[in-house]
Amino acid sequence: MILEAQHVDKYFFEPEKHKVLRDISLSISEGELVSIYGESGSGKSTLLYILSTLDTDFEGNLSIHDQNIKNLTSSALTYFRNKHIGFVYQFHYLLPEFNVLQNVMLPAMKLSQKSNKEIKNDAMSLLDEVGMKDFAKRPSYQLSGGQQQRVAIARALINNPSLIVADEPTGNLDQKNSELIFELLKKITESRNKTVVIATHNPKIYHNSHRSIEMIDGSIRL
Amino acid sequence: MSKQVFNKTNIFIALQYLFARKKQSFLAAIGVLLGVTTFIVMINFMTGVNDFLDDAVFNGSPDIIVSAKSKKQSTTTSNILFNYIENSNKIDDVLKVDDNVQSFAYQIISPAILISDSKQFPGSINGVFPTQESKMVDLERRLIKGEGFQSLLKENSILLGVSLAKRLQVSAGDQIKMILPNGKNTTLKVTGIFSFGITTIDNVRTYVSASTLQNLLDQKNSITNIHVKLKDRDDIRLKSYLTDNIDGIATEDWKDSNKTIVIGNKVRDILTWSVSFALLLVAGFGIYNILNITVIQKRKDIAVLKTIGYSSNDIIFIFLVQSIIIGVLGAVFGSFFGYLISYLISTTPLDTSDFIIVDTYPINFKMSYYVLGFFFGVLTTIFAGYFPSRKASKVDPVTIIRGI
Repeated sequence: MILEAQHVDKYFFEPEKHKVLRDISLSISEGELVSIYGESGSGKSTLLYILSTLDTDFEGNLSIHDQNIKNLTSSALTYFRNKHIGFVYQFHYLLPEFNVLQNVMLPAMKLSQKSNKEIKNDAMSLLDEVGMKDFAKRPSYQLSGGQQQRVAIARALINNPSLIVADEPTGNLDQKNSELIFELLKKITESRNKTVVIATHNPKIYHNSHRSIEMIDGSIRL
Repeated sequence: MSKQVFNKTNIFIALQYLFARKKQSFLAAIGVLLGVTTFIVMINFMTGVNDFLDDAVFNGSPDIIVSAKSKKQSTTTSNILFNYIENSNKIDDVLKVDDNVQSFAYQIISPAILISDSKQFPGSINGVFPTQESKMVDLERRLIKGEGFQSLLKENSILLGVSLAKRLQVSAGDQIKMILPNGKNTTLKVTGIFSFGITTIDNVRTYVSASTLQNLLDQKNSITNIHVKLKDRDDIRLKSYLTDNIDGIATEDWKDSNKTIVIGNKVRDILTWSVSFALLLVAGFGIYNILNITVIQKRKDIAVLKTIGYSSNDIIFIFLVQSIIIGVLGAVFGSFFGYLISYLISTTPLDTSDFIIVDTYPINFKMSYYVLGFFFGVLTTIFAGYFPSRKASKVDPVTIIRGI
């Protein structure tokens, strides 16, 4: 098991106390492509933030790689996230001050387990894999949405994490690009034996995942 | 685990942000530059003036002057204007044992009329003991022509202030006539001309040997003043000790005799520090503002940095480095321009009024002011940069990613 959640409850306190996640238990194993879907407000994004360790304010237990997340200090958690989890968001979020290659390199430069030269080579081959090698030296803001999302996937992979978390990765893209991005995520899961968790509205994605989890009112529909 | 925040990657990111906003960064640095430049120019100039006045006035005049208390008009004709010190032995004893006394000298001072071939002017004649007096006043440094106190060892010699010499139209080697209040007169040889740089002194001061004056006034061994130079000028307990313990004397210290200059120095100091501080504060607000806006604009990017492995401390460092770079650049160039402008001022001819005689503006190029200005500038920017940096580090990635 790469990820195991047990009896996770989550409350929002604004505007009033309100239970958004109810007793969520979930196991995801290596090499799985799992999508979480459901209506807006069903709690799928909230669950995703908890599974990706960004949100630690919950009740219950979560372990990733047999590491209980609640036992980590915030700096240890930052390091853990950097090493084991890759992120892809709806809005791509490349940093506009950096070029495409630098954007992909940033997480690895932080981890600093490799020399800059090695990181650069890794980044170039990842960009090649997502079909963005020719854009390496471009400023990231010059890219289209679909191109940026491909770069974001390369960035998520640079530290070779075991878990990739994607929050509505196709939410902001046209159909053609959506398919392209999903195929890319699927390919990564299968060829690299990664675990990918996607929160999505897109039926094409949750119908084609290895496993789909539907959220209704903060609970998993069985 | 969580490594040191001071690393190449964080600096790389900070520089990248800095260069992405060249214009704003540049303007912020200009702000610091102006603050530091003004600080240095002002402090160089103000302390230059203070030092110049201190040097001219305080070194040209004693720290404590002891004179005889003015008595009721004495009846003897030869004593009309003079009050001679009677207890000089007692005073001597006190001065010899006081730790704070550097040196002291006797003087007999008398007004007189000085007459040259073409002109005549009143002056204040200081009868001095050359060896003693040379320990009090560094006249060698202030000589314009001729010799210093040693030339007074020859009787009937006189040293003149430069303004007085000019008005009398005499130079070293010329003869002038001196008429004393008791009507006696004599011819003196001008052996030296000096300048203290202050017209009120250079206009009237003259030195002759005490014995010359004593002979003419018929007052063998009499003196009118004792001048004291202190080791620590600010410690003037000696003054009150003398007045309390010895009858018939009056004392005056350097603060009494130079009130306007002491106050002037104080006012200049306050002005310098407050204006410089205000300017640096404004520069600091500039940096604060720019970084604050950046942090608000860049909340998304900060959130991303946090999700890809950058800790709160990394974020603080990344933003703080930006303000430190701005501060150091501004301070370095500020010190440089401060020096440049101070140098230009120091070479600017000064058309003085009658009060001060000096060719160019006095400037004090003390290294410590540059160090101070530099650290002041950098410190301000660190303070100004810290609060926006901390704000940036508190960005919560979940709220940002969810929020849009």
